[in-house]
Amino acid sequence: MEPLLMLNHINKSYSLGNEKVQVLFDINLHVYPGEFIAILGPSGSGKSTLMNIIGCMDTADDGEFFLSGEAVHQADDAKMTRIRNQHIGFIFQRYQLIPKYDVLQNTIMPLLIRGVSHKEAVQTATEKLTLLGMGQRLHHKPSELSGGQQQRVSIARALVGNPAILLADEPTGALDSKTGQDVLQLFQELNDLGNTILMITHDPGVGKKAQKIVRIVDGHLYQNNEQLLS
Amino acid sequence: MALHEILNLVWINIKENKTKVLLTSLGIIVGAATIVIVIAIGLGGQKDVQDQFKNLNAGTITIADNSGSSSSFGRGGFPGGGMPGSSGRSGGGGGFPGGMMGGMMGGVQQIKKTTFTEEDLEELSWFIPNLAQITLLVNGSSDVEGGTLEDSLSSTIAGVTTDYADITNLELLQGQFFTDTDNEDMERVAVLGYDAAVSIFENVSDAYNSVININSKKYTVIGVLSETGSTVSDITLDSAIFVPYNSAVKYVLGSSNATPKIIAVADDVNQMETTISDIETLLAELYPKGSFTVSDAGSQVAASQQSANTMSILLIAVASVVFVVGGIGIMNVLFVSVKERTREIGILKALGSSRKDILLQFLLEANFISILGGIIGVAAGYLIMPVVRLSGMSVVASNTAAIIALFFAIFTGTVFGFYPAWQAACLKPIEALNHE
Repeated sequence: MEPLLMLNHINKSYSLGNEKVQVLFDINLHVYPGEFIAILGPSGSGKSTLMNIIGCMDTADDGEFFLSGEAVHQADDAKMTRIRNQHIGFIFQRYQLIPKYDVLQNTIMPLLIRGVSHKEAVQTATEKLTLLGMGQRLHHKPSELSGGQQQRVSIARALVGNPAILLADEPTGALDSKTGQDVLQLFQELNDLGNTILMITHDPGVGKKAQKIVRIVDGHLYQNNEQLLS
Repeated sequence: MALHEILNLVWINIKENKTKVLLTSLGIIVGAATIVIVIAIGLGGQKDVQDQFKNLNAGTITIADNSGSSSSFGRGGFPGGGMPGSSGRSGGGGGFPGGMMGGMMGGVQQIKKTTFTEEDLEELSWFIPNLAQITLLVNGSSDVEGGTLEDSLSSTIAGVTTDYADITNLELLQGQFFTDTDNEDMERVAVLGYDAAVSIFENVSDAYNSVININSKKYTVIGVLSETGSTVSDITLDSAIFVPYNSAVKYVLGSSNATPKIIAVADDVNQMETTISDIETLLAELYPKGSFTVSDAGSQVAASQQSANTMSILLIAVASVVFVVGGIGIMNVLFVSVKERTREIGILKALGSSRKDILLQFLLEANFISILGGIIGVAAGYLIMPVVRLSGMSVVASNTAAIIALFFAIFTGTVFGFYPAWQAACLKPIEALNHE
């Protein structure tokens, strides 16, 4: 089976003044359809940078990156923008909902951006929101919802475009542990439904919920525990 | 993203920020209102000029004594030259030396104003064939009594010859204008301007055939003019009282104080320059010591229109400054708005909004603000117009002004909205997302 997501020899460095700081070293990662992978690493390990590259919001210095067969490493800004819209469903730690849009408007945005008709977008979004238990809150503003509810809206927004991969960045980071557990349970269910999930977290307890854990330490990725220990 | 979806987002934003939108559009409101009023005032000014000169034939030439000083002997010398001129073409040349003689003699005599006479008229019309009609005009102010007046009224008295009525296209509401015979016989008859008739008699129809006192002498009103609103050779037709030239000189203004003008009409308007220089040459021969202003109506009208246009341009410049200030206001608010909404822009970018979509969203927002401002401003301009009219200024409302104002409003919004919108479109998604 072809991997859905393939990172080959990815390096990334930033310039801090005159100094060049390398953040990611020779990253190799393959994600297959239907997998639920957690990338586990402490803060400063480079996991956010990796997340940004996988999310097509940043570019690597070198290496290859394929997502759903598209060569992201060769893509320009416009193409990366399109890939984000079509292949990636973002779930952020702080939900990143637009405060002045109501739940429905927030959820339909990825489809509207894609050019789907308003009617169809509303229909799809309503289905997803109902699936996530937010069907009664379509016209609430984010500020009228609890953190857990907001995260559900954000998950609905990620799902609505039927993306190749759900990319979750510390999805439970802003939630209390009970609500966090509910969200992880939800991820489990979504994975059971066939969604591919890549979750980034610093919390080993959260990482445990995934099928597979990949650790990142000081910019190096370790596919299994033996490598990390060695 | 479909345009109507972007417009929907713009609408959501505007609904959320009603006060801010209104305050931002204030600059544009003021700018658009200014443009509408300014153009109205400009058109009003032009209309004033047209009204002022509507009774003036384009070929009208005014000859006025410019020096205020010339020789009475110079004038005395003139008939000697003038007489042969009227007897035949060949004698015309003879008119000049005589005039010159007189002028030279006058030069050594005491200085006095030039008083044009009917002989001058004959001389001019003989030597300058392009002059179709010619009249003398003397004007001054005198006390008038009669009608319903309780106290005497100081009025403009104009002494003119018969041709004056034709030259200035006078229309009579009642009665008729005086004749050459009235002038020769120094008849005490008067034709009243419309306003003059109203102020003396209250009821215009009472004026005809009544008697008024001008300078304590009785004059019979033989005609009343229709209302015109125009001014010819410094005389406001509506408020003037016209009497035969000779009567005016003799009874009203006194021959010593009178400074008559000659008003003539050229047949061929295309030869104005030649005609004017011919007149100047002839006058120089007749009155070598005199100094005269010979001006034609066409250039007077052009000059007045020119000044009205200059005024309009000046006012439009002021309005443009207001627009620039309004535009900078929009730009400022949009910059702040882009800053405030950086995270929102980051979210939209993460979700896959293209630069074009974000640029359009902000640009359309700026456009909305400016169109709103433009519409309110135009409406405000129309509301303010009657107030401006109260101040006595002429204002003429025009749809063109409204369209120009709207166009400028949209233009300003687009130009000044572009940079902040571009800035928003170019934000990097990660940085924008992590913006606090």
